[in-house]
Amino acid sequence: MWKLFLFFSILSLANTAENINSDLINKNVQRTIDLNSQLVKITGTITIENSGKQGISKYLIGFERDLQGSVSYIGVQDSQKNPLKTSEVAVIGRGTNELFYQVQLRQSLEPEKTITIIFEVIITKALNPYPHSITQKEKQLVRYFGNHYFYSPYKTQNQKTEVLVSSRSIESYSKLKPVAQTDSIITYGPYSDIAAFSLHPLTVHYENNAPFLTVTRLERTIEISHWGNIALEESIEIKHTGAQLKGPFSRYDYQRETSPNHHSIRSYRTILPALAHSIYYRDMNGNISTSTVKPHKDYIELELKPRFPLFGGWQSSYILGYSIPSFPYLFKKSSGEFVLNIRLLDHVFDDMAVDELETHIVLPVGVSNVKVKAPYEIKRLPDGVAYKYLDNIGRTVIRASKTNLVEQHIQDIEVTYTWKSHTLLHEPILVSIALFLIFVIVIIYVRLDFSIGKPEHSKKE
Amino acid sequence: MADTGKLLRYSSPVNPAVFPHLTIVLLGIGIFFTAWFFVYEVTSTKQTRSLKKEIATAVVASIFSGFGIVFLLLTVGIYV
Repeated sequence: MWKLFLFFSILSLANTAENINSDLINKNVQRTIDLNSQLVKITGTITIENSGKQGISKYLIGFERDLQGSVSYIGVQDSQKNPLKTSEVAVIGRGTNELFYQVQLRQSLEPEKTITIIFEVIITKALNPYPHSITQKEKQLVRYFGNHYFYSPYKTQNQKTEVLVSSRSIESYSKLKPVAQTDSIITYGPYSDIAAFSLHPLTVHYENNAPFLTVTRLERTIEISHWGNIALEESIEIKHTGAQLKGPFSRYDYQRETSPNHHSIRSYRTILPALAHSIYYRDMNGNISTSTVKPHKDYIELELKPRFPLFGGWQSSYILGYSIPSFPYLFKKSSGEFVLNIRLLDHVFDDMAVDELETHIVLPVGVSNVKVKAPYEIKRLPDGVAYKYLDNIGRTVIRASKTNLVEQHIQDIEVTYTWKSHTLLHEPILVSIALFLIFVIVIIYVRLDFSIGKPEHSKKE
Repeated sequence: MADTGKLLRYSSPVNPAVFPHLTIVLLGIGIFFTAWFFVYEVTSTKQTRSLKKEIATAVVASIFSGFGIVFLLLTVGIYV
């Protein structure tokens, strides 16, 4: 009996893992590895051929070891740019330190047919500064370690890779022939008939002075008021994760430095919604006055300057808050339910990398029947209770967290809840009752007599 | 995801542009009745004092002041 149970449990485990279908062949793979920013952006097109006898509707994209935890985003589209469903899976026969994503094709791929898919992958923390620490005047050099071949569980017939770097000053790069360099583009390939799971280390050592700025923690609080306002506050901790600063920091040299390509971070731009108002930018010391707001037609650009320039290993933290009217984000269903559609994460700076995000959504007083729909997998933390102004009951707080996010994760979360409109009168009635109690105390007080003299009526007698 | 295009956009039941005016009117009436109440309390004697009149003034004053204070908070940007 036990053996049978064990057999079934192994069988059910095996069902969750995917098999590699060796009938699929990567006919042609074109990759572009963009190393211009602090992120590694890999985009490419794959032409898949089915050499088997049966239709196949699943395709696996693999990542070599050591990339677990740094693959932040993967998006796959078909040739008409329709997004395809992608999910992380385990694969039979491969270790747990390799990462696989399964792509669900729109329709099954018939034998002898080909299909083209487009993929986009964002990898964080894949560029290592080398040398590890530099002085104020030196340039920042980084190394990228990758694979000359497209890492795939399938055989690849033909492939080509382009590596884009931010400058012409490339210290060195691995040379697996045929390879060519023009300006800031290194072209590898075409390589033909590469076996599945082939690895051949690719290294590029080049100058990259793009801001290496990581948001180590972002706490976003969204407070909804049915008086027609949504208040947002982001508590942000940032850190320069590029090459460490070696030796002293000279303000004088820094002031003389005029080249915009410096590895330190002087300022950065944050994009806010067009209707944002009452913006504040402060830290634990108080208001930070070095910020400018530039309204554009469909967004507000905020230029934020930290209190001090950030060099490698330096960090800073601040609070950014603003208000937006509720009508672009809050909707009412005819059934009396409310639907909130708001960004789970918003823009902090271009090519941002967020290590840890925690979003709190403070719902109004007296909500019930709360449902949350996330755009991607998030970790729901237990709901909290927050007490705000004129609040005696407490408000439900939806809490969610996620690690390792990039710009592609700026998507809407949907929160549906039931709320009675007359709850809006809760606060004014609360204040009125409090005031009335004061009046009652006065009414009682004037009726009390604390005088030690004789009462008035006895005087008359 | 629900199709938000078909849903009704929710905005405040009171136009935020009239918050300051509502504050002045409501809080004005509230303060007037509060003042009346206190003047009545200190000027009336035990014989002339009427509980009915006191309660009536207090209720009117507290309702107008309560709503006035909430709209004052909304005007200054504290969205309760």
